[in-house]
Amino acid sequence: MKKLLHIFQFEWMALRRSNTLKILLLVTLGAGIYGIYFGKFEIDKQNTRITHVQQHEIQQFDSLLHWATLDTTLVRNKEKFERALSPVGVGWNKHFTYYLANDPSPLAGLCLGQRDLFPSYYGFDVSSLHKQIYVGELANPMKLLTGNFDLSYVYVFLLPLLIVALFYNLYAAEKEGGTLLLLQSQPVPLFFTLASRGFLRFAVVIVLATLLLILAFLLQGISFTSHMGLFMQWLLLIYGYCFLWALIMAGIVWLRKSAALSAMMGLGVWLILTLITPAMLNLFVLADQPLPKRSEVIHSIRALNDRNWKSPKSFVFDQFYPEHPQYKQGDTTDFHKWYYASFTLLDNQAKTLNEQFEEQVVASNKLLNQWQWLAPAAAVHERLSSMAQTDRNSHLAFLQKVESFHQGLKDVYYPRIFANEAFDYDDLQELRSRLNL
Amino acid sequence: MLKIIIKKEFLSSVRDVRLQVSAAILLSLMITAVLVGKEGQRQIQKQREAAQSAMYDQWLNQGNKHPHSAAHFGQFAFKPKPILSFLDVGLDHYTGVSVFLEAHKQNEVLFSGAQDSNGMTRFGELTGALIFQLLLPLLIIFLAFNTFTKEREEGTLKMIHAQGLSMRTLLMGKVWGIYLMVLLLFIPIIFLAYLLLDRQSSSLDTEVTVKFLSLTGLYSLYFLLFVMMAVLISGFSKNSGFSLLTLLGIWIVACIILPKATTNFAGKLYPTPSQFEFRQAIKEKVKNGIDGHNPSDARLATLKQQVLDEYGVSTVEELPVNWGGIAMQAGEEYTDDVYDQEFSKIEQIFKQQNRLSEWMGFIDPYLAIRHLSMGLAGTDFNHHVLFARKAENYRRAFVKKMNKDMELNHKPGVAYADYNADKDMWAQVEPFEYHLPDTVSILRDQWRGMAALAFWLIILLIISVKYSNRISGL
Repeated sequence: MKKLLHIFQFEWMALRRSNTLKILLLVTLGAGIYGIYFGKFEIDKQNTRITHVQQHEIQQFDSLLHWATLDTTLVRNKEKFERALSPVGVGWNKHFTYYLANDPSPLAGLCLGQRDLFPSYYGFDVSSLHKQIYVGELANPMKLLTGNFDLSYVYVFLLPLLIVALFYNLYAAEKEGGTLLLLQSQPVPLFFTLASRGFLRFAVVIVLATLLLILAFLLQGISFTSHMGLFMQWLLLIYGYCFLWALIMAGIVWLRKSAALSAMMGLGVWLILTLITPAMLNLFVLADQPLPKRSEVIHSIRALNDRNWKSPKSFVFDQFYPEHPQYKQGDTTDFHKWYYASFTLLDNQAKTLNEQFEEQVVASNKLLNQWQWLAPAAAVHERLSSMAQTDRNSHLAFLQKVESFHQGLKDVYYPRIFANEAFDYDDLQELRSRLNL
Repeated sequence: MLKIIIKKEFLSSVRDVRLQVSAAILLSLMITAVLVGKEGQRQIQKQREAAQSAMYDQWLNQGNKHPHSAAHFGQFAFKPKPILSFLDVGLDHYTGVSVFLEAHKQNEVLFSGAQDSNGMTRFGELTGALIFQLLLPLLIIFLAFNTFTKEREEGTLKMIHAQGLSMRTLLMGKVWGIYLMVLLLFIPIIFLAYLLLDRQSSSLDTEVTVKFLSLTGLYSLYFLLFVMMAVLISGFSKNSGFSLLTLLGIWIVACIILPKATTNFAGKLYPTPSQFEFRQAIKEKVKNGIDGHNPSDARLATLKQQVLDEYGVSTVEELPVNWGGIAMQAGEEYTDDVYDQEFSKIEQIFKQQNRLSEWMGFIDPYLAIRHLSMGLAGTDFNHHVLFARKAENYRRAFVKKMNKDMELNHKPGVAYADYNADKDMWAQVEPFEYHLPDTVSILRDQWRGMAALAFWLIILLIISVKYSNRISGL
């Protein structure tokens, strides 16, 4: 024990005096802080956009509410009044566009994940949902390709480099500096000395990693108390990842090669694990299981839409009424009823097709996941992203919410549409209360 | 003398077992990337061509209907996969693949591959570009970091120096020797890629060979820069360890950290508006006029008066042509103007963002070659915009054709459902075709990258020629 402390003490002294180490740590810390700041910037931007959209939405709805109270004896008010209370609307004149936002989770700023690929809100009215959610957020594809410099990037890519830099000359520096013989003549086994020195260096990395996460929580204003679980999960995962890299480097040191060769090998392994294996996996999986074709989905939905319009109205009603007997009033000629009924058919079709499509995506992603252990960097990043709820699955979960919100709207609109009734003020109040979901 | 040094450098790197191993790994990676990448590109292109012609068939066989309904039925444009994209996929996973072309509305190019796959895609795909841009420079570093320092450490540098050999000649010899070794790895791969180019399907890109050769030339220049830099740093370093650490540091900053930091910073410097703001602005301008003082109903009333005056009648019903068709086309054209204005704003912002990293090529040659390579491979942002614009022009043309037919042939008084056009009308719309821009216009767009590489070459040449004799012979 005393020997261990002795080694620690001198190693610590050596580390403290090393300028290279100071620079390395400062650079990593700087990169980490930049990452924290950048993540916050991106999430703040998304939040501002969401607030902006929601304000617009509330403002619009309030004017709708106001229109519903207008005095209709005046001619100029009549149009507005009818607009506010009419559930049916065609083309640009649909009743109201609702917005549902995918609020960033508290940890989203630490790992932006796939959030930049998807819109953080959808705007839609009660007509066909699938026609309205194929929109992208405006994003520079160059930026999407390069990816985000967030904290997870620092952990997954830069921390291993730091470990390589701290470990590569653990043995070689002694040999090349001529102190190896001196060390070997000590009563302490060489292995013990090197292992304890390695341990101390590993501890430095762990402290830095922990410090960065604490800083991230503080700077991004994430509450420790309510997200202690996530905090611990992140830390454990990162500790495990760092440990893996320390083991790899220990293996390289074990080979007792020269400093230059050890550094090259360390960097080589880094390249293989963070860059080459994920890239190879992508290449092979995409060649073996190409992503399903969106065009087939679009193709058949368009064909259905065209058939709806070309066929007599009964084509739609004959399918719609048996599935929704509650709306059946015997009416088979009304344009608005037909219009909205056909949207439901379209959405049902789209849903089935999208589910099939999604199954294919899952199959191709499953193949990727099977081999993910070959690419620990990608695996850890995916895990961090899913903890921060910024992965693809989180977005799919949000789409589910959009769908049920839309269904909720239909439950309010459709009874009115099929009973040929206008909204009353209470209906609008009820719809208004849905906005602040 | 120079020849002897070149030969010595070349032979000593060929005989080094460590380099044999890493070169073998690199070579097999490159072969895999080129072969598998080519197969993937071929499949995707086949898929898209099939989808494009299937969609056109649907258009032709949509049956008899009103031309305006046909415009709503719409068409699709699929982005062809450029032939050279197997060497550099560039932005292909992040830009959309197809766009729906319909009446009244400019849709976005949607359905990018990245949206349909999990986070692994963000780690990139193994392509020639990734290997040439990132891995080959690393191999160059391993080849060159101790070329001077080893001789210095072993004392042979002193002997060479004592024989009266100038450091400049020695430096040149080392540069050429190592460069030869790099070309020995690069050229077979390029030859393999060259054999795979399908020049038959040249309708998409007539200049694929020229682009391929320019790409090869630029990459060769890029490698030369790295060789010169590595040899120089080795020359000015006290020992191999220092030289290696410096070079690896430069590599990490230039190839890993700086590209990401630059692009992210550009996003902050030139913020992108949101989809919502973009759509809102368009809606607002269509409704109230581009200048804000020309609301849509006033525009329509003016147009109506003009048309009535032109035909010398007083009501729409008396017109010999269909007023609905004229109004629709006028609305279409106004929306087009608004859209063009708003979209070019966004395009400008993205270009500004990208330009920052193009300028950064003067500091980081990796960024220069990255943009050049994507540009020549046809997978950069400019190509995407060009495709989107081509598709949009195609949309405008066919929608206009439909509106014109409605204006001339849909006689007043005839119900919408009673006027139908048929297949002959649909066949008047040619299928959508897209050709990649020519090499000259691409390179003109990319002058910053080329200037940056030239700048680096000149700087390194100046240092080599003027300061090489300051390399210590001890």
